Amino acid sequence: MTTGATRDQIFEELLAAAQARERDGEGAEIYERRGAALEVEEDDDGSRVTESRERGFAVRLYRSGRVAFAAGGPDGAGGLLGLARAAVLRSRARRGARAAPPVPGDARSPVVPVSAPSPGDETLARELLAAFRKFVVAAGEGAVALTEGSVALGERSERVATTAGRDVAWTSRAASLVATVVGRSGGGRFSARVVATAARPEELPLNRLARHAVDRVLLPLHGRPLEVSRLDLLLDSHVAAHLVGRLAPLFFGDEAESLLLARTRDGRDPIAAPLLTLADDASAPGGPVRTPRDGEGTPQSRHVVVERGAPVSRLTDLASAARRGSPSSGNAIRRSWSEPPAIGVTNFFVDPAAGVSPLDLLGGVAKGFFAALLLERPAVDVAANRFRLSVAGYGIEKGRASGRVSEAVVSGRLSDLLRRVEAVGDDLKFVAGAGGGVGSPTLFVPRWKSD
Amino acid sequence: MIRVERELTEDADDAVRIVSGLLRRGDHGEAFRERRTSVAWNASEAGLLHPAFSDERGTAIRIRRGADTLLLAREGDGPAALREVVRDASRRAGGSPFLKTRPKPTGSPLPPEAGEEERTAALAAALARALPDPRGITAALTIAHIRTTRAVVTSRALVFCGTTSRLVASGFVRRAEATRPFAFQSLAPFGAAADALSHALADAARPVPASGPPAGRVDAVFSPSAASVFWHEVVGHPLEAEGGERHSVLSRVPNAVVGPAGLFVTDDPTRPDLPGHYAFDDEGTPARAVPLVEDGRVTGLLTDRRTGGALSNGHARCSDYRRPPRARISSLVVPAGDVPPESLVERCGHGLFVREISSGSADPESGRFLLVVEAASAIRRGRLGAPLARFALAGDALSSLRHLDAGRSDVPAPASGLGLCVKGGDPVPVGGDSPAILLRGLAVTGGGS
Repeated sequence: MTTGATRDQIFEELLAAAQARERDGEGAEIYERRGAALEVEEDDDGSRVTESRERGFAVRLYRSGRVAFAAGGPDGAGGLLGLARAAVLRSRARRGARAAPPVPGDARSPVVPVSAPSPGDETLARELLAAFRKFVVAAGEGAVALTEGSVALGERSERVATTAGRDVAWTSRAASLVATVVGRSGGGRFSARVVATAARPEELPLNRLARHAVDRVLLPLHGRPLEVSRLDLLLDSHVAAHLVGRLAPLFFGDEAESLLLARTRDGRDPIAAPLLTLADDASAPGGPVRTPRDGEGTPQSRHVVVERGAPVSRLTDLASAARRGSPSSGNAIRRSWSEPPAIGVTNFFVDPAAGVSPLDLLGGVAKGFFAALLLERPAVDVAANRFRLSVAGYGIEKGRASGRVSEAVVSGRLSDLLRRVEAVGDDLKFVAGAGGGVGSPTLFVPRWKSD
Repeated sequence: MIRVERELTEDADDAVRIVSGLLRRGDHGEAFRERRTSVAWNASEAGLLHPAFSDERGTAIRIRRGADTLLLAREGDGPAALREVVRDASRRAGGSPFLKTRPKPTGSPLPPEAGEEERTAALAAALARALPDPRGITAALTIAHIRTTRAVVTSRALVFCGTTSRLVASGFVRRAEATRPFAFQSLAPFGAAADALSHALADAARPVPASGPPAGRVDAVFSPSAASVFWHEVVGHPLEAEGGERHSVLSRVPNAVVGPAGLFVTDDPTRPDLPGHYAFDDEGTPARAVPLVEDGRVTGLLTDRRTGGALSNGHARCSDYRRPPRARISSLVVPAGDVPPESLVERCGHGLFVREISSGSADPESGRFLLVVEAASAIRRGRLGAPLARFALAGDALSSLRHLDAGRSDVPAPASGLGLCVKGGDPVPVGGDSPAILLRGLAVTGGGS
């Protein structure tokens, strides 16, 4: 929580103006974000430092079940209510559903103004880049070079107040590392861009990302293509996490609920194997998102959407929760202050509670394939119930790596893959995806045949 | 937009003096001003739902000293914001300009432009035309009309870069059997852009064919629209200057013959009918057409001030004022050939006719590229056959250019499937204009993402 700061006149004036019209049946939510970010980028041409600060305000106006949104910086904040009032007349509700009115305050909502966040520490950013470069050189054994790398450190403070009494403020931080690496060998060159995000700079998985980056450019150069035909399949946590992330929209609000019901015979069938539990948790250890509240100010907590293979709940914002007659799960995400919040994930992951060591999983594979990394974005169509992963990795024989695989396609029916997961690892790892963090441990699927 | 132009340029003399006063001997630098207003709508298969207005204003300053660059960005686009950012920059860069503090004016957001109601009605009508019978269709779209105005202040002049107006849509369209990602962008006047959106959405809502092509090597005729995406990934990106020791598969071989005689590829930001159009780039350098391939030979490189210095050929582009400009593609133009399109299909024999490509990617180091084909038909015995489900085509830049058939169709057309290019996380509008082409030996790799 932010403590101490001067009174924010713009925010207070917007809120007071909105409250003045409450008697006319109008409700409003006022939002403010202050952000500061520092990015240090280095390549063989020099270094670039980018430092940005921003401050923006947004208003959501509710009237007669309709809603309109207007956003502007401090220079233009004064006219936002007027803009929203003009726009709300042209708004329509989805399929006859009325927009949820502003929510009242909750017990844990002390009124604290938004303080100015501080951008990250440039020295720390340079140290992180240097450490990452060392890891790449060590893991690549001279065959891999970091051609471009950047570390971004940011902090933001947010406040939400409604005419119904909610008034909360909070602060969060984020860090990311983006790098381009090039692998060179007698077989040619290959480059790749890798990304890691974390809730704190010190939590950036530098060593893991370096090893991943090296595999990403050397496996396509040194390995051989493999046809995945009836093989035991180990999906590395990195690969599985991206796949899991593509499932997330199935659980957003009420939009894809009919699709999920159709896939599970109105909820009678499981959607996944009994050892799979999917959850969204803004405070998950190792997750790249760590915020106490969502973009509407709702407190966030762990929210299980699939328990032991069966869908049990959905990720909601205030509007979709009101339509369902349940409290919001705290999944209203604001990508920026200038866009209205939309349902999204915080840290969405496969719970590793039932997991075993990845080495134990490997030891149980007689003949199989370990998909270590993705070569392309995964193609997942939940409506068509299909998926396709273009991956690289290692062949496995008798529990040991038998050779490098430059390219393999793992594809088939999505529901089959989810229901045939026979074991999970205990190595939960997160990657950036689905607009937040997505995570999974290693997944074991026996005798998988791609089509 | 005249009001915005006036507000961004009315302190020109003062702004130039402030920026030049910040720069020390040997420094290079400029300030960027940007104002972006957008009217966005959530839309479903039932029509437009909730409106969202936004008004973003920002100022940034960039100082280049030797190999190092500092860019500071702050909110606000007026004289006070420029003074604030210059003061902060001078603290960090070691200068000490004397700038009197002036109180920040309290403004108000731009009111919606005249005709906003008519535009909303036109958009609603376009949606209704696209999905006249929405039964069995679920659409979740965001449709936005975005106006971006930019100015660059150098140490010599304030350059007004102009205002661009775009209609942008993204989201997905789902039928029972498949989900199609949907992306659209047009710089055309609003009425024409809304019509184009309606056609694109109607296309996306059509039932998806059940079967794709078999995996393996294949020859393919690319429609003008698909060919533009091919040029973008295979010629455009590898010839964006990166600076330092980094070279791509094409920039490593300047003046080498990589394609058939008679092949010309030019990056032309001055074509006003294409989405990559601008008069000045985001560093204030006048836009210029740059021949990249002439008569099959690599001849050009797209540069900005960082990579080209004073010889920048006007291709510095950024997604917004907070991001440093980089050398990027604008609109790639390939002149027409003299072969009727049906002759290309005949020449292909057995293969594919690729109508639309929804996305692509390329590794500039290795030259490998991947194109996700959204709409295509089989070609059997020189004739068009059944439509195919989504799939991906992969290839290698040098090998594809080498095996490019010398014949090109006699009617070029602007790309409808090319609108936004994301590189390094920075999206910029791009376009293309190409005739249909015949490529041999591409690899079908299955369903695309």
